[in-house]
Amino acid sequence: MRDKSRVEVIIFAAIVILLAAIPCVNRDPYLLHILCLIGINIILAASLNAILNIGELNLAQTALMGVGAYASTLLVMRVGVSFWVALPIACMVTAAVSLLLSILTLRFRGAYFLLFTFLFAELVRMLLSNFCIGIFGGIPGLTNVPKPRIDLGGVLQLTFNSKLEFYYLVLVLTALTVLVLRRIDRSRTGRILEAIRQSDSLVESIGISTLKYKVIGVAVGGAFAGVAGSLYAHFVGIITPSDFSVHSVLQPVAYVVVGGMGSVFGPVVGTTFLMVLSHFFLRELGFYELLVYGIIIVLTIRFMPQGLISGPRLVASWIAERRKSLNVVRNDEAT
Amino acid sequence: MEWSLLAQGGLNGVMLGVNYALIALGLTLIFGILGIVNFTHGEMYMLGGYVAYYFLGHFGLNFFATLVLAAIIVGLLGCILEILVFRPLTARPNIELTSLIAALGLAWVFQMLAVIVFGELDKNVPSAFSGILRMGGVVITVERLATILIGLCMVVLLNLFLLKTKTGMAIRALAQDKEAAALQGVSVDRISALAFGIGCGLAATSGALVAPIFGVNPSMGGEVILKAFLVVILGGMGSITGAMLGGLVLGFVESFGCLFFRVPTVMVLTFIIIILILIIKPRGLLGHA
Repeated sequence: MRDKSRVEVIIFAAIVILLAAIPCVNRDPYLLHILCLIGINIILAASLNAILNIGELNLAQTALMGVGAYASTLLVMRVGVSFWVALPIACMVTAAVSLLLSILTLRFRGAYFLLFTFLFAELVRMLLSNFCIGIFGGIPGLTNVPKPRIDLGGVLQLTFNSKLEFYYLVLVLTALTVLVLRRIDRSRTGRILEAIRQSDSLVESIGISTLKYKVIGVAVGGAFAGVAGSLYAHFVGIITPSDFSVHSVLQPVAYVVVGGMGSVFGPVVGTTFLMVLSHFFLRELGFYELLVYGIIIVLTIRFMPQGLISGPRLVASWIAERRKSLNVVRNDEAT
Repeated sequence: MEWSLLAQGGLNGVMLGVNYALIALGLTLIFGILGIVNFTHGEMYMLGGYVAYYFLGHFGLNFFATLVLAAIIVGLLGCILEILVFRPLTARPNIELTSLIAALGLAWVFQMLAVIVFGELDKNVPSAFSGILRMGGVVITVERLATILIGLCMVVLLNLFLLKTKTGMAIRALAQDKEAAALQGVSVDRISALAFGIGCGLAATSGALVAPIFGVNPSMGGEVILKAFLVVILGGMGSITGAMLGGLVLGFVESFGCLFFRVPTVMVLTFIIIILILIIKPRGLLGHA
């Protein structure tokens, strides 16, 4: 067990170092742009997965990301604080909104939970596009979101204007997200969450309050959605309410499902696979791209419900099965 | 506030309500029987609209025949979807979640296919009825009145089918207890596919019914699914009477709300009312635990 987790850490570190070295080889802005988007989407997919860990699908996950994006942008543009202060505040605001939502939704399970979050997502979109237009900017949203800056007087002055600087920022935050979520997954809390996903009445029967752990799951999911939102706003520079509508939650759902629900690395694998596929291989397909996406989701859930991450295990068990049946045949021939 | 304005608001409310109830009926039927939150429902509604566009508009088929045809074509599609996609999921744990994700993916596929096959633009469907009725200060087009009446007829027919026929009773038995129904000789596979088909067919019929009023486009399903979910949550998932009641409540709230407030305010108010109802009655107005 310990060996396996050490191998995981080594592979993870190697991948991060490799990714950090990419700009030394190739500084193509398009490549870096897509890599940044992949990182932001990994954080979003991981946050969705954190709530899937308690067995519920939160359709308001992109709406929560929107809350983070607007909170961060408004803090920087209207209040005038720096990005480095706005990011953690946006993260906390989103976690708080997510907790508020959980007060309303954790009474429900299954279909009611997700329909309620569906309503919440639409409510957020309508509030952002139709009310307080002076602050939220209405349907056109907010433009010219300032880039983060580091200003240490004479020592260092750096504005994150180019894709390169942003690339490292996203890389660090994505790696941190994955590490934190892996830490939670390995802890007692993570094991209880896993048990709740399988059967929450069983967990309650041995005297553990599931509500407390569900609230933790929701808060963690909300916090990381806020990080993704804040990064997205300052990276893209334009945010509109429709970016965070309930329809846009389809993409992160696809990432998580294709990668593998419930595991920490599933969303990472799924996001990378689908985004690389769509941005580097399916660029010419136009409408057909989304069609391919939809078909991939349906086929995955139908034939590979544990996602891509279960691929190696499936292959291994298939080989073992083959070997066993071959042995049986051989034994039969021997007797 | 004049009397006629209130009466007009009430009439519009009934029309909207019947429309919403029709769309929500199929959704609540499928959830009640199969436990599937069918996100493709809006797309079935859209496909029904396109059946009307081609058969009513291009081939000049009779309006009522078009409604039946929409139900049959899309109903068959629903049966095929249930057999190929949803049935294999029922054997696995967490069917609600996996079937929902599969339905989300399918909704995407159908919407994109519609864009590719039918084109992105709005299309008009010729009206089957013409003329305007005036009663005092209240004005209604014959078309809208006909829509209300046909919608009500469909609701009555569906209820008769579910309450009186043997197949209808088998469907209700399946909704109550799958294993007990199977023990009584109900073929679970056949009835599940049938129920899914009927649900999809209902969506398609309502799409075809209102196509002459609102026109058709590939994204019309996405707009309507939100309303259908509101109605179903409000009435209680799986409850058919609840869907009708929820549809009427939503129709009246929107129709009267628009007399007093801006449209976005009405939408937000509707949401807040529904959230309050759910806090008091978490299973909706007529839902069962």
